[in-house]
Amino acid sequence: MAWTRAGRRWAWALALVLAALALAVPLTVARRHEPTPSGTPVNVLLKDFEVQADAAVVPAGTVSFRILGQGPTTHEFVVVRTDRAPDKLPLQRDGLTVNEEAPGIDLLDDAGSLDIDDRQTLVLRMAPGHYVMYCNFEGHYLGGMHAALTVR
Amino acid sequence: MRRSPSAEVGAASATQRTAAGGRSGIGRLVPRLPILGDLRLGRRLGWVIPVLIVLVTAIVGYNARAIAQQRGSALIVNTAARQRALVERYTKDVLLVVDGFQADPEESGEAVRQPVNVLLDGGSVRAPQGDGSRVEIPPARDWKVRRKLEQDRRLIDELIRTGDRLLDGGRAAPDYAAGVTRLRVLSAQLSSVSNDAAQEITQQTEASLSRLVRIEIALGLLSVLAALAVGLLLRRAGAEQAAQFRSLVNNSSDLITVLAPDGKITYQSPSVQRLLGRRAADLVGTALGDLVHPDDRHDVNTSLTRLVEAPGATANLGCRLQHQDGSWRHVESICTNLADDPRVNGLVLNIRDVTEQAALRKSIGDLLHNLARRSQGLVDRQLELIDELERSEVDPDRLDELFRMDHLATRMRRNVENLIVLSGVDQRRRWSESVPLRDVVEAAVAEVEDYSRVQVAGVHDLTLSGQAASDVAHLLAELVENATSFSSPTTRVEVSGGPTGNGYVLEIEDHGIGMSDAELAEANRRLAEPLAADIAVSRMMGFHVVGRLAARHGIRVQLRHCWFGGVAALVLLPAVLLGSAGEQPAMAPPVPAGVMVSPEPLLVAKATASGWQPRAHLPLRRHAAPAPNRGGDTDAAAGAGEPVE
Repeated sequence: MAWTRAGRRWAWALALVLAALALAVPLTVARRHEPTPSGTPVNVLLKDFEVQADAAVVPAGTVSFRILGQGPTTHEFVVVRTDRAPDKLPLQRDGLTVNEEAPGIDLLDDAGSLDIDDRQTLVLRMAPGHYVMYCNFEGHYLGGMHAALTVR
Repeated sequence: MRRSPSAEVGAASATQRTAAGGRSGIGRLVPRLPILGDLRLGRRLGWVIPVLIVLVTAIVGYNARAIAQQRGSALIVNTAARQRALVERYTKDVLLVVDGFQADPEESGEAVRQPVNVLLDGGSVRAPQGDGSRVEIPPARDWKVRRKLEQDRRLIDELIRTGDRLLDGGRAAPDYAAGVTRLRVLSAQLSSVSNDAAQEITQQTEASLSRLVRIEIALGLLSVLAALAVGLLLRRAGAEQAAQFRSLVNNSSDLITVLAPDGKITYQSPSVQRLLGRRAADLVGTALGDLVHPDDRHDVNTSLTRLVEAPGATANLGCRLQHQDGSWRHVESICTNLADDPRVNGLVLNIRDVTEQAALRKSIGDLLHNLARRSQGLVDRQLELIDELERSEVDPDRLDELFRMDHLATRMRRNVENLIVLSGVDQRRRWSESVPLRDVVEAAVAEVEDYSRVQVAGVHDLTLSGQAASDVAHLLAELVENATSFSSPTTRVEVSGGPTGNGYVLEIEDHGIGMSDAELAEANRRLAEPLAADIAVSRMMGFHVVGRLAARHGIRVQLRHCWFGGVAALVLLPAVLLGSAGEQPAMAPPVPAGVMVSPEPLLVAKATASGWQPRAHLPLRRHAAPAPNRGGDTDAAAGAGEPVE
């Protein structure tokens, strides 16, 4: 079949549109797809100067902390295993931050800095025991930014 | 002829067209740019240039904004960062006072409040340069920054309340230790939130500056594109204009020739093909003189040589150029010396074909000549008849009337001869031998109707070439008659003479009302540059005739004001026309009209040629009869020689 000039033009236009769609659709889908956290979810809210979790006791195993920063100050989220009370953690020599290397303190992990409306998910494999969640920026812990979590 | 109405050729009614009248659309909106000269802006160019201007303006504006924002941001960051130090100072001041030391926590408390208040609400802060100047900071607009600063303010309030409680309770208070700890915790929290705010402001500033840079880069790219477009369109406009100019030059009936100073053609417009049947390329590198008629070559060389010596000057030139087929074309040229212009570097000749005008002029000349010849024959017969009557008349009264008729007829004959002179036909009377100058002067005077008012004095005993005698007498008669006609009948006209370094000057002075400077200049121009026979000649015929006669023999004639009023006509007879008694003067070669133009004034020098002797010749004009009261003898004059027609 002989292509007319107009026909060739339309064919090129169609090919371009299809190519654009082929590129755009996977990108859009990939953007919308977020990995579903596995394990027991715990929603954590960080705000000045408190840590709020929607669960105080969770089953042992994988725990997904879905953290939302509400600020206004930037905070971090630290999880340690300890038998101490949440407000009795040992402090460093500056008297303002928790000494995470002190005996009786087992640092599991932390989720960097979260500014206002920042979200992070921290997945931890947690054995049964007592845990404390807190922010270890200067003055934040002493300001009351800590919470207890029990894993059974 | 002198006081004829100054017939300035009608005031030219110059029609001026406004450039705006022919422009439309964007052309009316965009002003002509002087830098472009007469380059016309096309429609596209008219749009692109404003776009370019807008882009450049935007770049400049964004630059100014970026600089202002950068400075303000630096101050904000500095202010935010300073708060940590101020909080620590307040804490120390509280503890010092509690411990009994001298400090001013109240002042440091206020100092802690100030930065956050300024950052939140706007205000002035001290410039970091330390020169004492204060800079206005706008209130923070970003919601994140505002929330952090508001938290900062709340913490400061709490810090100061805690400090106040410590100050009030002192060390003895039961909650002293808890208070101190609370103070330190609050201080740390304040540092945290202050740093946070400062960091946020810094990030936003960097983002804003980065955005500005990106916008500026985009604007810069657009400007480059616009500049390229302007360049291309200007080039295109220039090319179009050059093509238009080439087309005009190629299709013009005029020739444009550029000559190097050595007379070689460096540029020849293609229209030479139509005018001379020659290819322009063949003429480049050849000498213009090769095309010029041999009779005109001297004049052309003289004029061009003068022009070469005067950069920027312009001269008119008339000559004949040879066509490819061997015929001659009459041309007129306006020559301009543009040797100083590096784009031309030569003489520019704008040459126009006037062959048809020359033919028409020749026809007019022939017509004038034929009419004048017929009239001349009649007047001559009339003069012969009057002469016979004079010979037979014995009654003094009748004889006097016959003399008057004789004068009138003589004057008529001179008018007829004027027409012959203007016709361009050289049909003058010539004598084979020299003629005494004084006799020539007296013969001229005798031709004037009012001859009795003319006084001839101080003319030296010289001889004048017989070839020029008739023309000089005619020339002098015209000038003397002009002097008598335009001065009071009760005044005298004086004719005198004197030698100069390069000839002899005759001076004809009248005591009339004189001429204005403009009239005098115009008359001198006519004398120096006599026109060909055309309509304009009829208005100042006498001066044209004098100019032509003078041009034949290289005589210079100039009018000037007399110091006592009136006008003096100076006639410089060149030395080649003159001789002393007993010598046979050489024939004066005809000198082109161009030679007559001389910037140097004619000056009457002191009489120095004392050795010249008069000769026994008399002027030969038959009817130039002297008046009885002047003692002349026309019959004696008649036998000195025969005119050579």
